[in-house]
Amino acid sequence: MRLNELTCSGFRCLGELQFLPIPGVNIVHGRNAQGKTSLLEAAYFAVTSKSHRTNTESELVRHNHDRFQIRAEVARRDREVRIEVNWWQGTKRIKVNHVALSRVSDLLGRANIIFFSPEDIALIQGAASVRRRFFDMEMAQLQPSYLAALQQYRQVLRQRNQLLRQPTPDLPQLEAWDEPLARHGAVLIEERRKFLRDLAPLATRAYAHIAPDEPVEIRYHPDVPDAAALPKTLLKARNSDLRQGVTNRGPHRDDFEVYVSGKPARIFASQGQQKTAALALRLAEIELVHDRTREYPILMLDEVMAELDAARAERLLDSIHPDVQCVLTTTNLNASLPSAQRASAHFLMQGGRLETR
Amino acid sequence: MLIHVPSVERLIEAFRRLPGIGKRTAERLALHVLSAPAELAETLSDAVRDARSRITTCDICGNLTEANPCTICADERRDHSVVCVVERPAGAMAIEKGGTYRGVYHVLHGVLNPLEGIGPAELKIEGLLERVRRGGVREVIVATNTTAEGETTALYLSKQVSALNVAVTRIAHGVPMGGGLEYTDDQTLQRALEGRTRL
Ligand SMILES: [Zn+2]
Repeated sequence: MRLNELTCSGFRCLGELQFLPIPGVNIVHGRNAQGKTSLLEAAYFAVTSKSHRTNTESELVRHNHDRFQIRAEVARRDREVRIEVNWWQGTKRIKVNHVALSRVSDLLGRANIIFFSPEDIALIQGAASVRRRFFDMEMAQLQPSYLAALQQYRQVLRQRNQLLRQPTPDLPQLEAWDEPLARHGAVLIEERRKFLRDLAPLATRAYAHIAPDEPVEIRYHPDVPDAAALPKTLLKARNSDLRQGVTNRGPHRDDFEVYVSGKPARIFASQGQQKTAALALRLAEIELVHDRTREYPILMLDEVMAELDAARAERLLDSIHPDVQCVLTTTNLNASLPSAQRASAHFLMQGGRLETR
Repeated sequence: MLIHVPSVERLIEAFRRLPGIGKRTAERLALHVLSAPAELAETLSDAVRDARSRITTCDICGNLTEANPCTICADERRDHSVVCVVERPAGAMAIEKGGTYRGVYHVLHGVLNPLEGIGPAELKIEGLLERVRRGGVREVIVATNTTAEGETTALYLSKQVSALNVAVTRIAHGVPMGGGLEYTDDQTLQRALEGRTRL
């Protein structure tokens, strides 16, 4: 899969902009705060309708504007996909190949971008909720049925928690909410387990490419390991749920732990190891998307070179399959030259304007 | 600007309280009513007031009706032993349009929704159980929507009604007739597969 063209207007600090990347490695350089990250963010937004760094869409619109537009032309193995996003005063409309989508979730899976940003270190350092969000987002893109179960689970959980907060919750009603919670929750547990089974070895391999002497593994820590035991677990926790006014057990309490050399990376790994581990998760996704869809996603690496020493950076670029289109940003052009056998194009980002070099 | 005249603002707000009407549509409707001949506004307000004063909810099934009990509840040719439970009058209307259902209805006027403060007491659930307790009902068909709230309400009703030794069934959900699979959304298709039947 490759991005042939990206145009946007009114997005963040970017001017009217046209980006024509080549199939190989695209290097966007420039000083800080010139719009490099915003360019990647615009592409990611076109493909997922989400930003990697904010949930407040009004932050995405240029100062003193009320509208932004993004158009992405993506060539897939089987067909061309043209995605148009039109955001105006808080309402977003998305068209795929000129047809308006009735639901934003229908956008997922049309094109795939794997995005690594410096904030991804939170995948290792941050709270369990950060990791759950990562897995939910990635799984939703690959399996629409997972997204459906996740949305249902979240809605039932919100309703059940609200019921638990009432002064005297109606027990027959609570029982009625337990059933769908357990049913959709079981789907989440099973699907997360399967996903981890596929992703974990790929992440181990990706990490080993960059840092060969530190074995890495990811493990899934489900709050309720046996999906079939969810109804029983909910029943057992009912009294404490009622006391605390919240649902204590279930996949909304799951975690995924990354281990470097056998120790939890969250606590024991160095900053460099944590960055490499976060990157390994993203690189593993590339292979997983390829396994599932028979096609490589587009890879976007924001300021990744600044995060790694020279040897790791070079091994990283060598480890990426030659068919993967890459867009990477850097403040230091010399530090990010890809290996000689890959075609590369250079772009300069300055004050929201993009120049081809 | 006209929009800031209090009487116009009030009209726009009134339109906005209707389902499916956003800010822009409300403004468009209000401006249309105000710029069309006065006869339109009079017909509209008369029709709304007249219909609203004549229509009430049926004491038996809760459906909207002019006569009480409603024509369906009063119809002796219908099968009063089969009760179809719907969320809203629109659900009963949709099934009636199909023209083959011969049972009667019960309208809940909502579904269980703690986030909106709607519990069993806010719905016409006790009325349904009372109908079942009085006898003569052999099947309750639950036709609430397939939202999380609709499904949970179906489950809640099934427990309450089966405790009274009456059969509870749930309508099947699947692929629309004459519709191709490629035009059916993923969730509907998944549900249709789960509810498959032997040929
Ligand atoms: Zn009636």
